[in-house]
Amino acid sequence: MSGHHHESYLAPRETLWKSIMAWVYTLDHKRIGVMYLIATTFAFLLAGVFALLVRAELWEPTRTIVDEATNQTRVVGQFLPGWTERGLPVTPNNAYNRAFTLHGAIMVFLFIIPAVPAALGNIFLPIMLGAKDVAFPRLNLLSWYTYVFGGLFAVWSLASGGAETGWTFYTPYSSTTNWGSTTAMVLAAFILGFSSIFTGINFVATVHKLRVPGMGWFDMPLFAWAIYATAIIQVLATPVLGITLLLLVLERTLRIGIFDPAMGGDPVLFQHFFWFYSHPAVYIMILPGMGIASELIAVHCHKKIFGYRAIAFSSIAIAAISFLVWAHHMFTAQTAAFNAVFSALTFLVAIPTAIKVFNWISTMYKASIALNTPMLYAMSFLFCFTIGGLTGPPLATLAVDIHLHDTYFVVAHFHYVMMGGTVMAFLGGLHHWWPKMFGKMYNEFWGRVGAVLVFIGFNVTFFIQFFMGTQGMPRRYATYVEEFTSFHKISTVGSWILFLGFLIHALVFAHSLVAGRAAPKNPWGGLTFEWEADSPPVEHNFDHEPVITHGPYDFESVVPPHCSEQDFPLHPAAQNGRAHGH
Amino acid sequence: MTSGGVQFAFGPGVLSSWWDWLWFHNQTDTSTFARGVDLVFFYIFWVSAAFFVLLMVLMAYFAVRYRRRPGVAPEPSASHNTPLEITWSVVPTILMAVMFVWGTYEYLPLKIAPADAEVINVTARQWGWEWVYENGAQSRDRERIADMDSPVFALPRGRPVKFIMSSNDVIHSMYIAAFRIKRDVFPNMYTSQWTVPKEATHRWSEEMKQFVPIQPGANNGYYMACAEYCGDQHSQMWARIMVLEDADYVKWKEIQASTDDIPLLVLGEILHKTKGCVSCHSVDGSKGTGPTWKGIWGTTEQFKGGGSAVVDENYVRESILEPAKNIVQGFANQMTSFQGQVTERELMALTTYIKSLSAKPDDLEAAKAASDAEMEAKKKAAEEATNP
Amino acid sequence: MSTAAARKPMIDMDLPPHARHVPATHWRNAKDEAEAAKLGMWLFLATEILLFAGFFCAYSAFRLYYPGNWHAASSYYLSWKIGFANTVVLLASSFTIVMAIRGAQTNRQWMIQLNLFLTQLCAAFFLVVKLVWEYWPKIQEGKLPGGFFTYAHSQGPHDHIFLSIYWIATATHGLHVFVGMIVIGWAMWMAARRHYGPKHYTSLENIGLYWHIVDIIWIFLFPLLYLV
Repeated sequence: MSGHHHESYLAPRETLWKSIMAWVYTLDHKRIGVMYLIATTFAFLLAGVFALLVRAELWEPTRTIVDEATNQTRVVGQFLPGWTERGLPVTPNNAYNRAFTLHGAIMVFLFIIPAVPAALGNIFLPIMLGAKDVAFPRLNLLSWYTYVFGGLFAVWSLASGGAETGWTFYTPYSSTTNWGSTTAMVLAAFILGFSSIFTGINFVATVHKLRVPGMGWFDMPLFAWAIYATAIIQVLATPVLGITLLLLVLERTLRIGIFDPAMGGDPVLFQHFFWFYSHPAVYIMILPGMGIASELIAVHCHKKIFGYRAIAFSSIAIAAISFLVWAHHMFTAQTAAFNAVFSALTFLVAIPTAIKVFNWISTMYKASIALNTPMLYAMSFLFCFTIGGLTGPPLATLAVDIHLHDTYFVVAHFHYVMMGGTVMAFLGGLHHWWPKMFGKMYNEFWGRVGAVLVFIGFNVTFFIQFFMGTQGMPRRYATYVEEFTSFHKISTVGSWILFLGFLIHALVFAHSLVAGRAAPKNPWGGLTFEWEADSPPVEHNFDHEPVITHGPYDFESVVPPHCSEQDFPLHPAAQNGRAHGH
Repeated sequence: MTSGGVQFAFGPGVLSSWWDWLWFHNQTDTSTFARGVDLVFFYIFWVSAAFFVLLMVLMAYFAVRYRRRPGVAPEPSASHNTPLEITWSVVPTILMAVMFVWGTYEYLPLKIAPADAEVINVTARQWGWEWVYENGAQSRDRERIADMDSPVFALPRGRPVKFIMSSNDVIHSMYIAAFRIKRDVFPNMYTSQWTVPKEATHRWSEEMKQFVPIQPGANNGYYMACAEYCGDQHSQMWARIMVLEDADYVKWKEIQASTDDIPLLVLGEILHKTKGCVSCHSVDGSKGTGPTWKGIWGTTEQFKGGGSAVVDENYVRESILEPAKNIVQGFANQMTSFQGQVTERELMALTTYIKSLSAKPDDLEAAKAASDAEMEAKKKAAEEATNP
Repeated sequence: MSTAAARKPMIDMDLPPHARHVPATHWRNAKDEAEAAKLGMWLFLATEILLFAGFFCAYSAFRLYYPGNWHAASSYYLSWKIGFANTVVLLASSFTIVMAIRGAQTNRQWMIQLNLFLTQLCAAFFLVVKLVWEYWPKIQEGKLPGGFFTYAHSQGPHDHIFLSIYWIATATHGLHVFVGMIVIGWAMWMAARRHYGPKHYTSLENIGLYWHIVDIIWIFLFPLLYLV
């Protein structure tokens, strides 16, 4: 390691073997982040394939017709074939049920929970704080290998038929079903939980102990605040998932009977356990995306974030309140008093969220907005996440949720926040930091084409689902009554547009790696520390420890490092406290 | 757009004026509960729409007005504005407090059924519904919904009905979208919900001697669905709800209650559907989760783990009451017991029906004969009771 | 620029290992490294507490559902005397590990090694008693969790649930004790190599913290399972 200080972290070693070992045994947070990036992208594509299968199945409601030849009934309008498992014929509904379960489980546990923190967070948190690495580099590597191990378990489960319980594994169905390989899938999620915990511990300690001297809490970039709040949730919530899944595995194997009503157990107890983790988990999913949004908007609007402290505090508030609202997933299962409490608490979490959206849009006032791919994604994020956020209150309202629970309204809501929110932000962050991570620029025109297609495809797929839901279309349905056919057809066409958008992004990134032009150190004029480092950064991130001379969003008074004042002029009225980043 | 004029939650295509779009006025008066729920929803919808439009217009305007121009520096602006921030924290809080209070207020009546509500016992199972009315009636009306043979249930207009629900196996959820009601249904436990339907959808027709829609082609009743994932045929647990005027409702229940004068053979065929056997056992030879009944009578079944039995009366009885005892090779142990859920006569009816599906014509004759003989015996017994 | 060798501070190789500890290269000073390590350990302990909280929640839920049966099952199946002995031993082991840390602080290598050895002894005692006097007889008599419960003389309808919770909670705790033994064994090896001293005993402190949590969890499990 000693001779490689001044090379890019991506540089190969003297021999192929040494290069491979440099990645296998790496303690460099950037390389670990890149490995996570590749793995989570692969998981996203795999889960996306399952989603395409789900939507293909829903193109038409199924119909049985009488086959004149054999005088037997035959099912048509079905896309997924039946298969045989352990010598038993399995119906096509079962194939659909596995498809949506695997879509959910892979997306949640293998993509969306780790992707932003463990990939982008790993690469950029230490750099933004001016550090050489995270607090516990070996724990970081352990976290990565735990993820790999959990992923292998998931692959093994997939190969043995996957699971068809829904990603929420409700008992007693999940504790008694014999199709597929449910126990292996549950164990996979259990192992992946540890990966998440280790990452969380690492990031909390990093933010506390590795900030450059002179960087107080309120001098940190908002992405760091977001990662910090996420890490707190990861540390406190994930163990509860661990015990829940462990109890489920024991229920399936040892038949301990605590969730099985036939043995005196309580199936609703499982729901409480499960959602006590899984609700905070959705904030693990969105908070890093919000952090990225702050960075994208600040840099590409070349404007300090409006209400920095409000956004910082709201991140912590969201993390704290997220632990108090889990039972809003169970309104149709509980008593009135219990439900009223959780309905009220759920509304609480909407307030800091709304404040963030107002602040982001206010940041655009009197700004200098570059409508490039990252900014297009930032605006897509604002559009879609606002819809997702505004469709939360109907679900928090008791009377309305009774009608909307377990319908497509809920499906549309969470896709708007998770995909319209986190995935849009993630894609924006990828484009924003791509030059820094890999030292290459991508084709801006095709980047924007991809962004527009993803935006259109996403909205066509999911907006109609709100109406499906209010009309009473339940979720997790392999087939449906004919009235909903045109809704579903529109939604399926949208999924193909989405796929096209992602395909274009994949091609653009592949092309960039092979033939993209070399990236400057600060193509966007950012002020946070990563833009002072090389593109891509050297192994220990900086040649000299960075010195903090300005805030992360002091665009008014500072010319960005490695940039000219011509490209990023300062307004005469803001001449006080002028400084250059170096 | 609607096939058969089925009415479900908001009935697309039936919005006749812009006022309807503003308030989604149609089809909100289906139950006493529905109107309140819809009003809360529309409040939330319009508040949300207003905020959304405002925010997006601002965003789009800023994106255009303040787009980057080479050599032009952005003007300085405040980094925060306390009065503004307080306002936009307090106003949404108040608006949401209204959502919470109003929503809870509309919700609470749903939890407390009136004392005079008629009780219907609901059993959910993989994968179908059974409703048992106060007079012991169980619906024998069937309809094809989503290409699945599904039950038709009736409810009285203007009177409260309370459902006491339980499941035979896993968690289900009874959802009648038009009434805006939904409640999870658990095994080993009772949950309840209630409703008052407000509009009759069907009436008794003397000419056709059956229940017909009041407005043919418009409202064919409401859908009921299962709203908690419960396995393979979760998406095929539909049912149709008819709402009848009181007199018609009483008449319907009486018709449904009396299975005594239905011959065994006919009753067996009905039970095959109403008891849910149809979910897994076909009668036309096609493969399913369970063995087909076609041609099965008198054959020898091979069991898992060795052993075999001839399909006769005893075997059918054991299969219904203790299905886990012997599993036919090539099938999984998936059937729950119907112990306590079938009467002796119903068992006989099912046996007779299966026998009639035998490959041997003799068995069909025997089944018909047995069925007719039983009806004869009952008639004679009834006559002797009235004319001793 | 400077080479790696020129960057490292001069080390006096005559000093014992604990006195020549150098923080990892991404740390600015040894104090930050030590504090971060402790923070990390506290965070990890929080996750352990939350993990076991699940068992306690399940316990509470079923105790609420079946109160009469619970107390009867507890005295019927479990011996409070064995549990009490184990509790005392575990408490003693917490004391000895603190003494080991004291030895590091006062640079008495013999004290570190002796007390770590005593801690190990206590842990082994705990596990042996549990396996031989509690688990093995139960396995033989069929007093097993949930679906495997075959004991012929159950005294209530929900005995198997009580035993389910007993088995999984104590087994998971026992697993943590076992892992603790492995980690303490590693510490004993490091102590033998003079790795701990007044200026460097953070990992020993962290192991002590872990051990205390394992002890505290037992302090809660014992009365809830054995005494009430």
